[in-house]
Amino acid sequence: MIFPTEINLLDISAVILLIATFGLMVSRGFSNWVNAYRYQTIVLAGIVALIASITNIWELYIVSALTFGIKAVIIPKILFYVTKKLDSPIKLEIYPYISMKLSVIIAALLVTMSYFIFLYLDIKSNEIIQVFLPVSFALFFIGLFVIVSRRKALNQMMGLLTIENGLFLFAVSLTHGFSLIIEIGLMADIVLGVMISSILLFRMSRTFDSIDIKNLESLRDD
Amino acid sequence: MFLELFSSLESILITALIITPIISGVLVTFLKKKKIIELVTVFSSFLILIEGLILVNSILKYKTIYVFNGIFYVDSLSGIIIITISLVGFLSSIYSVSYMGKQYEKLIIDEKKLVRYYQGFNMFLFTMLLVPISNNMGIMWIAIEATTLVSVLLIMLYVKQSSIEASWKYLLIATVGLSLALFGTIFFYYVNTVDVPLEEDVLGMNWTNLVENASGFDPNLVKLAFIFIIVGFGTKAGLAPMHTWLPDAHSEAPSPISALLSGVLLNCAFYGILRFHIITSNSIGSHFSNTLLIILGVVSIGIAAASIYFQKDLKRMLAFSSVEHMGIISVAIGFGSVIGIFGALLHIINHAVVKSLLFFTSGSISQKYETKLISDTSGIIRIMPITGFAFLIGVLAIIGLPPFNIFMSEFLVLSSGFESENFLPSMLVILFLVIIFAGFGKHLLKMVFGNPKQTIKKGDLGILSIIPMLILISIIFVMGIYVPEPLQTLIGDASQILLVGDLHN
Repeated sequence: MIFPTEINLLDISAVILLIATFGLMVSRGFSNWVNAYRYQTIVLAGIVALIASITNIWELYIVSALTFGIKAVIIPKILFYVTKKLDSPIKLEIYPYISMKLSVIIAALLVTMSYFIFLYLDIKSNEIIQVFLPVSFALFFIGLFVIVSRRKALNQMMGLLTIENGLFLFAVSLTHGFSLIIEIGLMADIVLGVMISSILLFRMSRTFDSIDIKNLESLRDD
Repeated sequence: MFLELFSSLESILITALIITPIISGVLVTFLKKKKIIELVTVFSSFLILIEGLILVNSILKYKTIYVFNGIFYVDSLSGIIIITISLVGFLSSIYSVSYMGKQYEKLIIDEKKLVRYYQGFNMFLFTMLLVPISNNMGIMWIAIEATTLVSVLLIMLYVKQSSIEASWKYLLIATVGLSLALFGTIFFYYVNTVDVPLEEDVLGMNWTNLVENASGFDPNLVKLAFIFIIVGFGTKAGLAPMHTWLPDAHSEAPSPISALLSGVLLNCAFYGILRFHIITSNSIGSHFSNTLLIILGVVSIGIAAASIYFQKDLKRMLAFSSVEHMGIISVAIGFGSVIGIFGALLHIINHAVVKSLLFFTSGSISQKYETKLISDTSGIIRIMPITGFAFLIGVLAIIGLPPFNIFMSEFLVLSSGFESENFLPSMLVILFLVIIFAGFGKHLLKMVFGNPKQTIKKGDLGILSIIPMLILISIIFVMGIYVPEPLQTLIGDASQILLVGDLHN
């Protein structure tokens, strides 16, 4: 049913998505992360449109457009505003807990792991699931890795957004879009979440003079 | 849809239940005067309580209620959650007037913050009420995620270093956890619709539909999906080892909000686990999910016991006690016998009542003593007689002494553990309960009856902080002696749903 060229297109788009995600791993500057996230989301919107054209589900075109409009335009706009307004003098991730070089290697291992996990899952699959499910796992793991390995709160937020993109890809490729109301609800949750964490970032930078999470270690039981 | 709104009492009730807090939130936004927004919030919470009670009455009559083409679905299980939300919500709104009023007098918050607080309070009630009434598991997930976002706003109300830290951790951990729960939810949707043509799968996310088709699901995928669910919603429900955000968030929030977080929100998240537990049991038998629930529950009680024993901060101690009680509920569901499940559902209500009493009293105590440290708090009953008495009752109840309500449900839970021959977990639970007993007990006498510092002025904090405590105390006493007839029927029906997963009996 699916022509070879289309399968190639699927593969290529999956690879581009992974490359865009790796952009998060190799850049140090605040605005670079936002850009990396934006590229990632644009590719994601393209992938959703591709799935829509293969499966002929018109709802997915709307989802694709929404993804582009909300996650590739509005959210980066909010985030750029945040990075510009932050008081923090140094807008770089200087010393992450795990060095840049090592984290690229770890991210590559995480991608491999995702493919192995997919092999163990016994899912009745078609080409779309085969190509995108492992990638969605990879996005999830890389997002999680960014959260635990980076010291700047803004970068952790990028990790969260990457996890969310992975989740979104997972949902679309596995179920070919569940109902539109839920997708809209999810988007609303994300926009709200980004706004709230931006407020939190501002307060953090005002109270601690930086958004380094090493400041956030006072609440503990000893 | 508009016509259907007035087709039955129930559709009006359910609509009113979610519209009331929204209207109240909007009114608060525009009215802005301190006295008026307090009145609006208390009144709307009272309305929610009344609507909730009438709805539960309908649930008792009809057992299951669908409205708006099955978008909303309530049964006895939802009824239990609705009762806890509306009851604690109402009492917490009264207590807020006292507590936040005091903070306002002390200039800790200004009028703008007060407006923000009441907006958040109403939205928090709205998002929590959306959880038990939605039939669509995706919408339920969205509602639970929304509770996170709204409660983060409430926790960071005071711009302090510690509250910023607590809200950031809470936001990160809860969101990552819930994203796992969404993975699980999507997996369930997938196994439900994989063999169904695309045009007919619009209902595939509905709980009623999932339960009906559960017996045909692929067992391996169901197991995987349930693991995602229990880790995901378990994070939000405060089950160890995913509970690390909880003591921070619950102790940094304003006290009325702590009561809602501990007493109600944890149950909303656990309700998500329960719904999927029913689906999983219908699909692959209850053994798998029961075992997981018992393990996570016992671990939670154990970790909570250790942390409570060495705790120095009163509100953190109460937060860990919530971890313990969510563990008890989880273990009890896992035991899987009729008595155990009945006890677990009773425990949901009992814990909500006692824990909100404790957070209310600890709020008043920390306002009076201006510290949360246990070592600096002594002689409460001499300084604030009624609050001290309430605190004493609350602690005696939370450690499970008779004749208070928690004793009753814990007794049911443990006897079901031995009845279902889960000897090891039951013994462990008893051991941990003894440790927790000792942990609370070693501070209690000094805190309540010790010699107070002379510098603190005597007197309780005003009638509005006392009323909710007295109401809660009377509930604790009554529920310790007997469970009222309608509540018994409600919990009995809900345990039937959990046991057999059947909707129509």
